[in-house]
This record gives sequence, C-alpha cells and structure tokens, in this order.
Amino acid sequence: MSHHFIQFSDVHYRYSNGTEALKGVTFRVTHGEKVALLGLNGAGKSTLLLHTNGLLLPTSGEVNVGGIPVTKKTAPSVRRAVGMLFQNPDDQLFMPTVAEDVAFGPLNMGLEQPEVERRVKEALAKVGASGLENRSPFQLSGGQKKSVAFATVLSMEPEILVMDEPTASLDMRAARQVTEIIRAFDHTCLIATHDLELARDLCPRSILIADGRVLADGPTEECITRLRELAD
Amino acid sequence: MSDALLSAPVAIAADVVAVTLLAVAAAKVKKNVKENLVPLMGVMGAFIFAAQMVNFAIPGTGSSGHIVGGVLLAALLGPWAGFLTLASVLIIQCLIFADGGLMALGCNIINMGAMTALVAYPLVFRPLLGKGAAGWKIMAVSIAACVIGLELGACMVTLETVSSGITALPAGKFLALMSGIHLAIGIGEGVATGVVLIFIRKYRPELFGAETAVCGSGAGIKKAVIGFAIAAAVIAGGLAFLASSNPDGLEWSIEKITGTTDPEPQHVSAFSTGAGKIQETTSIMPDYDNTFAGVAGALMVVVLVWGVSAMLVKRKRPATRTIHNN
Amino acid sequence: MGKLEKALSEIQDMQRGGGEQSLSPLCLLLVTVVYLVAMLSVPVDSLTMLIWFAVFPIIGAGLSGLDFSGIFLKSLIALPFAALIGLFNPIFDTAPGIHAGGIEVSHGWVTFFSICLRALLSVQALLILTSSCGFIGMCRSMRRAGVPEFLTTQLQMVYRYLTVLMQESLDMRRAREARGYGKKHLSLKMWGAFVGQLFLRTLNRADNIHRAMLARGFTGQIPHYEPRRQSWRLRDTAILIISAGLFAIFRFVDLSALLGFK
Repeated sequence: MSHHFIQFSDVHYRYSNGTEALKGVTFRVTHGEKVALLGLNGAGKSTLLLHTNGLLLPTSGEVNVGGIPVTKKTAPSVRRAVGMLFQNPDDQLFMPTVAEDVAFGPLNMGLEQPEVERRVKEALAKVGASGLENRSPFQLSGGQKKSVAFATVLSMEPEILVMDEPTASLDMRAARQVTEIIRAFDHTCLIATHDLELARDLCPRSILIADGRVLADGPTEECITRLRELAD
Repeated sequence: MSDALLSAPVAIAADVVAVTLLAVAAAKVKKNVKENLVPLMGVMGAFIFAAQMVNFAIPGTGSSGHIVGGVLLAALLGPWAGFLTLASVLIIQCLIFADGGLMALGCNIINMGAMTALVAYPLVFRPLLGKGAAGWKIMAVSIAACVIGLELGACMVTLETVSSGITALPAGKFLALMSGIHLAIGIGEGVATGVVLIFIRKYRPELFGAETAVCGSGAGIKKAVIGFAIAAAVIAGGLAFLASSNPDGLEWSIEKITGTTDPEPQHVSAFSTGAGKIQETTSIMPDYDNTFAGVAGALMVVVLVWGVSAMLVKRKRPATRTIHNN
Repeated sequence: MGKLEKALSEIQDMQRGGGEQSLSPLCLLLVTVVYLVAMLSVPVDSLTMLIWFAVFPIIGAGLSGLDFSGIFLKSLIALPFAALIGLFNPIFDTAPGIHAGGIEVSHGWVTFFSICLRALLSVQALLILTSSCGFIGMCRSMRRAGVPEFLTTQLQMVYRYLTVLMQESLDMRRAREARGYGKKHLSLKMWGAFVGQLFLRTLNRADNIHRAMLARGFTGQIPHYEPRRQSWRLRDTAILIISAGLFAIFRFVDLSALLGFK
C-alpha cells in the first residue's frame, strides 16, 4: 500500500477575481506520513488543501494522488481516497441527523445498506460519538460536532486524510480528543493548522508556506522557528 | 390566511394548486445547471427566515416591520427557485410556530409566494428593471413589484375568504380593508427589498445581472404564468362546483347579503317523537341550531374529557418540548 | 431581538420527537388532515357541532403522551387574528342566533365564537402532530406521502441551517449593540446593510457546504438513510379508519340531540 501519496508539482492557482493564491507549490507527502501545513492567515493553506481532492484544479502544474493525476474527470475517484475534514463543522454536517450525515459518504459510494450501517457504527465508535446517531447537529457541543464531522469522513474509509484546522475553536479536552483520533489514523495525513502543539505532537515533518510558495519543508521544529520569524 | 377563515373545499382547492405549483417549480429548478443549488436554496431559506426575524424601524411611526421576501428571493435566485425557497420557509413556519394552520398552507403559499415570486417578479420587476439599473431604479421597481405582489395577495385573501363564507364581512369591504393594509405593507416590503438589493449590487455586482440572479434565469416563466392563469380558471370553476355541492358556506353568505334568515326557531327536537328524533339526529345534514342547552352540553362534555384525560395521562411531556438530554 | 432568540429556542425545542411513537408519522399526518377537513367543513353557524370536535385534540394529546394544557396555551396565539377578523361578524350580522328564555345571542356572535374555536382547534391539531412526529419525522412522512423529494430535501436543509443562520444574525446584532448602537430597531438603511451582509455570508456558506458535499461524493441528489424506518403497519390502517369514522360521526350526527342536550 505504498500508493497513498500526494504529489504537488509546480502548482499555480489563480482565483477568478485575479488573486494568485498558489505560485508554484511543489512537495510530496509519502504513504503513512503525518505532515503539518503551517503558515500565516492568507498564505494559501486552505486553497492548497482544496487541490488535494480536486475541489479546486490547478491553473498550471499537477497534483497527483496515489499515481492518479487530479483532473475534473478523476476527481470523483480521488475523493473516495482522500477524506477531507473542513474547518467549520457546521458546513460539514448538513444532514438532519448524525447517522444520516455519517452515512452520506458511504451511500454516495454506492454501498449496500448493511455495509453502510456497519460503517456508520464503526466510524461513530472510532470518534467516541456512539449514541449520538439520532441527534441533530444543533444539539451537539462544539467538540461533539467536530468528532461527528470526523466520523462523516472516516466512514468513507479514506486512504489519505486532509484536515483544515482540526482543533480550531475547540477547548483543551476536545482538542486532545481530536488529536487522539488523528493519531489513531495510520494512513497518510496532511494537516493545515495554527495549533503548533498539535503539529509538534503528531507531525515529525512540516511544510511552511507563505504567499503561495513553499518556504520551508522539513522537521516541524525548524518550520515553527521560521514561522515565528515570519510572524514578527 | 388562517384555517379559521377557510371552508374545507376552498382550503383543499388551494392546497392542490399550491402542491401543483411546487411540483412544477421543483421540476423547473432541477433542470437548472447551477450545481450548488441544493445547499444554496437550503441556506437561502434559512437566510430569509433569519432576515424576517430582524425588524427595521418604519420612519416616523415609532413602530417596526419585517419583510416576507418573495420579490427579494426571486431577484436573488430566479422566480422558480425563489418561490420554492419561500414556500419552504412558509411550510417550516407553519410546522414550527403553527402559523396559520396546516390547511391554510396552500393559501399562504399562493398569496405570499406565488403572487410575488411567480407573478410580480417576472411581470413587473424584471421587465421594468431592464439592464444595469441605477440605485433609484432598483428602489422604484422593488416598490412597484412588492406593492403589486402584495395587492394580488390581498385579492387572493379576499377571494379565498369570501368563497369560504366564514366571515360575514361583505366582499367589497373586506377587499378594501385587505388592500389598504397590503398597500402599506407592500411599500414597506418594497423599500426594504430595494435597500437590500442596492447593498448587494454595490458589493457583489456580478450577482446582479439583469437576467442571471444567483441561480439562473426564469426561462419559460411566461408560459408558466399563462399556465398558472389557466390553472386558476380551472380551479375557480372547480371551486364553484364544490361550493355548489357543499352549499353551507355559500348559502349562508348569500343569506347574509340578501338579509333573509330563517326566523323559525327549531329547538323543538327534544319534544319530537323517538322515531323522528333518531331520523333527525342521523340524517346526513341535520338542520342545526344552537340552543344554550346544546352549546352548554357539548362544552360540558369537552371539559369532562379534558379532566378525565388529564387524570389518565400519567407520563406527561411538556407540549412540543421533546428534547432528550442524555 | 427577543423575537430571534425566542424563535431559536423554539426551533431547538422542536426536536425529532416521538421516539416512543408507535404509529407511523404518515398515519398521524393523515389523521390530522382528515380531522381538519372534517372540522373545517362544519357549517360556521353550527357552534354546537364544532364544540364536539374539541374533544379530539384532548384525546389526541392524551394518546400521544402530551400535556394538553400546554398545547391549549400555545394554541391561544392563533386567537388574536381570528378574533380580529371574526369580530366583523357580530357587526355585520345581527340576525338572531341562539335564543332561550329572555336572552338572545345574535347569529354574528355565534359565528364569531365559531371562528375563534376553529382557529384554536386547527392549531391544536397541528401542534399535536408536530410535537409527536418532530420535524424530521414530518419530512419523512411527507416524502412517503408523495411530496417531491426536492422539496423535502429543501425543507430539511432549511431546517438544518435555520439555527446556524439565526445564530449568525444574532452574533451580528450583538456585535453591533456592543459598539453602542443600543437595542433600538435598525434604520432601513442599516437594516439593508445588515441583511445584505447576512446574504453575502450565506452565499459563502452555501459554497462551503457544497464543497463538503462534493468531498464526500455528492452527485446532485441527497441519499436517504433510515435504518429504523417506521413502516406502515396494520395498526396504522386501523387507527386511520377508526378516527376517520369518528370524525364522520361527529360531523354528520347531531350528538347533542342524541344525548338529549336539547
């Protein structure tokens, strides 16, 4: 299973209003690696993440996931492999109940009902949210929402996990719980975060981006030092 | 509109029309190419719901008002999607706050949704606005469209109410009352709609092309309006038929107009023979009268049932409070 | 302001109720509709007959395990509008109505009370339905009753994001108040900016949600998932027939006369 890699090769992206968000990004995350994506606000982290599963396609350059170049055509199959956790769980939990939300991905994959049920149960158990099946999202606490959002991704059994600020606006206990969920996921992870503790804790390697370019790629501690310099 | 003022045939007819319109709208909107339509319309419904909750001050009166949002939604989403979105908001308000009642839902969807988004918007707002309109023009067109939309709504309210025959208000007076109220509301709604549209045009002009709105054009709306007119005529005919086959309401209101009532008190049934009594009580349309004894007796039974059920129902849940906290 | 907060709490209260409901939501919906049709078809001057219909919400609430006095109190909100319009009846209609002994109540007053009662009963029936099915149950039963899927999905989406957007609007209001604008109503211009701002945020949110959907394989149609689907059972048929029969009796038989109240 050495094909769970993400390869960015000189990726450029320009928004329709003319802003150039990515200006030639190149890196590779190999199988089983947990990599933190660091950078100040507006550096292009979120834009970059949206390229990993074809929600945005490069203006030029190539994104390759597990040997498949990401294009409009391949995007649907890439999305089965790349699970994406968005920053705001309210955007991610759009179904009326938790169970329906967790089942959304597997059902779209065309799985049969018993398999979907198994996955819903398993995914909720993994994130410690068993018993919340029939709740509506607005009955959940912030931490519970995040856990359930995680479950909606895990139920698709992705090979690569991409996360945007997984610990943002969570209290310490909930953040720790999310950290443990990520730690337990033993496939490839790419985590965009401002939470330096999380980066130190989970990711031996980090990629620092600034102004749409890779500024540093290496040991997390070094990248954090460079990030501090940037912030000053 | 409320259940209380509607007769069953009128309510059902309006419900059928509303459901048909909704089905047509759903089919039209589905064909739309805009791919984020499902989440867009969903959050737009929630948006208009939230916007309705925020009041604005009505200048010079010290009171405040809020919008309904039919023309606004049509301008932002296109007529069909706007109609569907507003209808979904009305349905939710009915289910959550019991606004108006379940049977009156069809009337409300027609009066507030169809008349603004499906009639006033395509026939008034769009043609008058043209392309690349200035602020004052947006304002003027919004006011015109909202006033016309709401006045049409007032006409529908009058039509529904009068054909139901529940209230004794003469049709002319009722229409005058309704259109007066709706004129004021319409101006307020129009100004508010204009203000929002001008704001949006200022910050996101690309959303505000004359034709595009946020999601798609209202292609085929003219045909739809014609279809709607035909449907309305058919329904009106059907309504007349229904009313004539179920004459209680109409008969009674005609009676009011002509001023004739049956002067004969008929509370003699208690003294009639057993056979006659059974015949009278089981006949399909017994001739009702309201004696004090009758009213009081029925009331007593209701209170009794309430008392007994209050004693019997042990596991009490507070009304509508069914949240489970575990 | 209080309006927004109150609505928020009401929406949150109206959860998917009826975990213990033994009837399918579709059955409850149909029974309610049949009741409403029967009740609304009572001639407006047949106050006595209408009063008989008042027993059903009480029984229905009891059978659903709901507290009727709560339902009754909530149904009073329907009264002002009905009474306002109904008040024209005694004005325009002074024909004799009830007459017994020396007292006379005009026909207009009879119909006035009738209108008020219709308002209360219809709201009570609806409240019992929604509190025993919950909103999601209602949507599911509507879908099963043949309502186009697009509409039920739309209802669920609006319901899902109601609280999110109202919270957002509330936060915007509070931020504004915190900057010293006080709690008075917004001027039209500020209101326009406020609602416009909310709209732009909403557009943004729609994009984010759409992305989250696409990331999980959304193809344009929301799939269904109902592991413990409450299917239509024999008892639902029985309840529907029994209640329809009862409503018919109450509608077509003069119970007051039968029981000798007159």
